[in-house]
Order: sequence, then C-alpha cells, then structure tokens
Amino acid sequence: MSVDHRETGGDRVEIDRVRPPGRFRDTVRTVIRGVGQLLITLGVVVLLFVVYEVYVTDLFGGQKQASATEAIDRVWASAEVTATVVVTDPSKLVTDPRERTPKYKTLTGEGFAKLYVPAFGADYRFTVVEGTNSDDLYIGPGHYAGTQMPGQQGNFAVAGHRVSKGSPFNDLGLLASCDAIVVETQDDWFVYRVLPMAEEVASWTSTPRPDCAGVGVQTGAYAGVFGREITVPSDYAQVLPVPHVDTTAVPRGAKRMITLTTCHPQFSDTERMIIHGVLVKSYAKAPGFLPPELGTG
Amino acid sequence: MYVWLWRHLPGPTAAKLLQALMLVLAVVALLFFVVFPLLEPYLPFDRVTSG
Repeated sequence: MSVDHRETGGDRVEIDRVRPPGRFRDTVRTVIRGVGQLLITLGVVVLLFVVYEVYVTDLFGGQKQASATEAIDRVWASAEVTATVVVTDPSKLVTDPRERTPKYKTLTGEGFAKLYVPAFGADYRFTVVEGTNSDDLYIGPGHYAGTQMPGQQGNFAVAGHRVSKGSPFNDLGLLASCDAIVVETQDDWFVYRVLPMAEEVASWTSTPRPDCAGVGVQTGAYAGVFGREITVPSDYAQVLPVPHVDTTAVPRGAKRMITLTTCHPQFSDTERMIIHGVLVKSYAKAPGFLPPELGTG
Repeated sequence: MYVWLWRHLPGPTAAKLLQALMLVLAVVALLFFVVFPLLEPYLPFDRVTSG
C-alpha cells in the first residue's frame, strides 16, 4: 500500500495544494503529542495512586494509631490502682471470665483495647478502636459496634485493613490453628486461640500440641466454624454471637469467641478472610505482669 | 501541554527547571492529600468489613 502511495505522487501534490502543508502537519503533530502526554500523565497518576495506597496511607495510619495508643495509655494509667503487693505469678492472676465485666466505656473512633499476636512478633501490637467505618479503620483495627466486648460470651468481632493504612491484618493468612490472639483491656488480659482449620478437622486429636488446650473441633451450633474461612463480603453472620447463626441474641451457654475480618485476596476486596478464635484463658492485669502467652506464641 | 508550559515559564533554564519541579511537587501533594483520599472510598481495593 505505502509503495503504491509513493508512486502516485500526484495525489500528494493535490492535497498539499488544498491545505497549507506546514500548518496542517503542525496541528496533527500537536494533537498527537498532546494525547500522548495526557496518556503518560494518566499512567503516572495511576502509579502515584499505588504509591499512595501502599506507602503513604501507612504513614498517615501509623500516626493515627500512635495517637490512639497514647490516648488509651493515658486512660489506663489514670484508672490503674496502685498495688500494695506485687503479683507477677501468672497462676495467681488467672481469672474466671464470667466474673469480669467491662468497666470502661467505648467511644466511636477511640481506642479501648490492644490486640497482640505473638506469632507475628513481639512488636505486633495494635490499639483497637470502636467502630468500623473508614475513618475508624484508618486509625487501626475496628470493633464491630453491636458485637460483644473482649471476654464476653458471644463474639468480639474486629475488622482491619490488609493493605494500606497501617496494614494491621496483612498477615492473617499466616495464622495457624492454636496461635494466640491476646486482647488487653483496662483491667484484663484475654487469651484467645485460633480454631482448627477446615483441612485439619478430620485428623484433629483432643490436644495435638500443648498450646492447643481448650481449642477443639467445633460441634453443635458451632459446627462448621473454622480457624480461617474465606467468604463473600455480605456474610455478616460471621460476626454474630454464634458465627453463621443468623441472630444477634447471645444464647445461654454461648462460647466466648473472637472474629477478625479483612479483605481477600490481598490487594482486592472481592472476598473476606475471617479468623475465628475461642477464649482459653484470662488474667487480671497487674503492674509488671505480662501474660506468658505473649512470649511463646 | 508540557511544551507550552515550559515555554511560558520565565527565566533561564535553571529557573525553569526549579519552577517545573515545584509544580510537579504541588500536583503530587494535591493528589496525595486531596484527590486520592476523596477517590479512595469508591475504589474496590480495601473494604474489610462483613455485611
């Protein structure tokens, strides 16, 4: 085709005569260059958005988390009773969760508890705020309003970002069954452990490992509740008192559960990753005392 | 677009370069602090709650 075109040079002369050669070519060049630059610019903007989402929001979220932690530390320091006898023996601080009622108030967007996952390292610690809207979750993991408080019968449900804004729940996919999830409130330590995974249920013995005491395959109303579940975003029943059971009422004899939710797969939110755990132990807080679970995982 | 901008920046090349750099930084700041935070809730990346 192009060869033909060159041979019929007369046509080109014809066109050149109709439109002034310089101006036409300049206009075309300018338009094409403009479109090219616009596309490059849009590409750069998209890349900048990735940088923003993955790095910049982590910085902002880190600042918000730090100030929330500072605030809760102040509250706890003022509520602390000065102990006359120093008790640091874990066995003497073990409490019956039935006798512990939350004495603190929660305000949307403000911290009321701290979350530790020793399996993610000794420095893994996040202040949990009340509420799960985007402002709350920018600060840190957020407690689903209307679900139970730490240690209570029912389900203490917490949502957290997987990527961006501090990424508190980035590694939930790495949690194994029986891993400890420790929650600290004003007066208590609550030690939850991740339930058996779906693929482990068939071969689960009563206590496969020493740290699995109190963790077992779920039966009865809890049958089908596993340590990790991948589900659809609309599956609100995951955070109800008995996961998967569609009522907000806490039945008599309900277990004390923890549920963590985040988006799945990473960098997407077409699904949700859900972690379920059960309360296995609780301690009263005492100056200088840290639950042994924080060290061993 | 950029050619037009470059032509209209006053001063010698060094001054033009400095001004261009400032403009880029201003646009990036505008994106990071205003545009992206506004846009973010509408994008399907990081919604983490159930229900």
